[in-house]
Amino acid sequence: MITITGLTKRYGDRVAVDDLSFELAAGHVTGFVGPNGAGKSTTMRMMVGLTRPDQGEVRYHDIAYADLERPARTVGAVLDAQCMHPGRSARNHLRAMAALSGIDARRVDEVLTEVGLDTAADQRAGGFSLGMRQRLALAGALLGEPQVLLLDEPSNGLDPDGIRWLRNHLSAFAHRGGTVFVSSHLISELAMFADDLVVVGNGRLIAAEPLAAITARTETTVVVRTPQADQLIAVLTQRRLAVRTAGDRLHLTGTTMAEVSQLAFDHGVRLVELTETSRSLEDSLLDMTKSSAEFASA
Amino acid sequence: MTTITAPDPSPSLSSVTTASHPRPWRRELRALPNALSSERIKLSTVRTTKVLFLLTIVIDSIAASATAKLVTDEVLTVSKVFVYPAVFTAVFAAISGILMFTSEAQHGTLAVTLAAQPARWVVAAAKALAAIAVAVTLGAVGMVAAAVGAALGGLALGNASAMVATAGWALLYTGTAAAIGLGVGMIARHSAGAISGLLVWWFVAENLLRTFTPPSIGRFLLPFDAGYRTLGVGSKFDTPEILAVALRGPQYALIFATYAVLALAAGTILLNRRDANS
Repeated sequence: MITITGLTKRYGDRVAVDDLSFELAAGHVTGFVGPNGAGKSTTMRMMVGLTRPDQGEVRYHDIAYADLERPARTVGAVLDAQCMHPGRSARNHLRAMAALSGIDARRVDEVLTEVGLDTAADQRAGGFSLGMRQRLALAGALLGEPQVLLLDEPSNGLDPDGIRWLRNHLSAFAHRGGTVFVSSHLISELAMFADDLVVVGNGRLIAAEPLAAITARTETTVVVRTPQADQLIAVLTQRRLAVRTAGDRLHLTGTTMAEVSQLAFDHGVRLVELTETSRSLEDSLLDMTKSSAEFASA
Repeated sequence: MTTITAPDPSPSLSSVTTASHPRPWRRELRALPNALSSERIKLSTVRTTKVLFLLTIVIDSIAASATAKLVTDEVLTVSKVFVYPAVFTAVFAAISGILMFTSEAQHGTLAVTLAAQPARWVVAAAKALAAIAVAVTLGAVGMVAAAVGAALGGLALGNASAMVATAGWALLYTGTAAAIGLGVGMIARHSAGAISGLLVWWFVAENLLRTFTPPSIGRFLLPFDAGYRTLGVGSKFDTPEILAVALRGPQYALIFATYAVLALAAGTILLNRRDANS
């Protein structure tokens, strides 16, 4: 269990992270979402001691990060995939990391194979694509066989195959009991493998709950197309159902596809289309963080 | 198909982290050999280190050879000239010390290092030891290159008995220059800024200060001048006033070392206070 309590960080007058508190459970992938400038990266940096909080603390099973005997064996972090010397080979980059944490050098080749960089091990990192850098950064995080992975936008630069690879690896890691805390702006991607979500805006916590709970609150709309629209509208308004006309379709809320189908059948209304749409998780999260977005599209 | 070796959930974090109290410095000190080993790998796997060694060999040998051929108004020997180019070696040592920190800061690997080793003074100490080790090696290589250059320039060996002591002072000079460079790098966190600032101080500001301050005060304000004087090599710019208040070699070494300690202390304090990305 990772416990974040009252985490606060100010830069001058600006509060980057404001009294943030939540918990991360072992065996779960927890997504960390919020608009640009919401404080996600600052929070993650504070979680590994790179940025000092003004208030609050982060505890890994009740132990502060700085007090962990061997941090790399507990927490593996990828906070910036660009963090590597361009003139150093992938293998040497990892050798230096392994030596610092007292990890057997043989582990270097193991993680290079795990992330699929074994054939590029002796190439200089400066020639790597962003996707290869992401894989190398993840290899560094995995060196110490940690129990916790903290990843800031790990899918940046990965191609679709790489994103799928990452998703499978992180899911496998969590299923084996590890804790994964991953920030991403690809909400639809997160929705495919996250168990829980932590949503922040303006540095403040907006929600920290299971993904299923957020999904369950999303509003469902039944879309109907019929040549007898006026007749169906009369039936629906009798039932006090909300009806909105959009072109040749009717959008109904507060009902289900089955109920609409039954009503149409009972009143002899012919339907040529009957579908159900949900607002996406992305829409729901954008609504949650709308008021706190630092930079928003018109 | 490869798999991630994720942990067995049963033992939980407590199996690897048994302490819930602050880390005592003795435990942090035990991490120093690991940090040193990491620095050794970092230094040996970038081209900068090799380039600095190559430059030291080329420039020191050419400088010694040119001195042997061009200086005709005094009797020179290899045992005298081998230490003359130490100032070039000291510059390369200082640059090596600067880059040891600034290149990490600029490429972001400093964050990786500090995440793996939260006791930041351990990182600073390992870098200081590694910088001094590189500088001492550079100093030794530079003196050998200079001796070879002087011999190729036609000089006789001369009195070799004092060479060991002179070489020892030269190694102290280059090692201390690297420590100052590291300290400056830790303060500036920017390669070009730190290198240009250090060189301007070394070769411009110190000469101006030497000219415009009383020698009795100026001798304490000129760290690199003090460092060079540990070699026992006189300067043509020395006035009778400067010579009248000249200190002995160990005293100059103490002044130079004091500046190195101050630079490293300031750098370590800033490393502790600053965020890793700033």
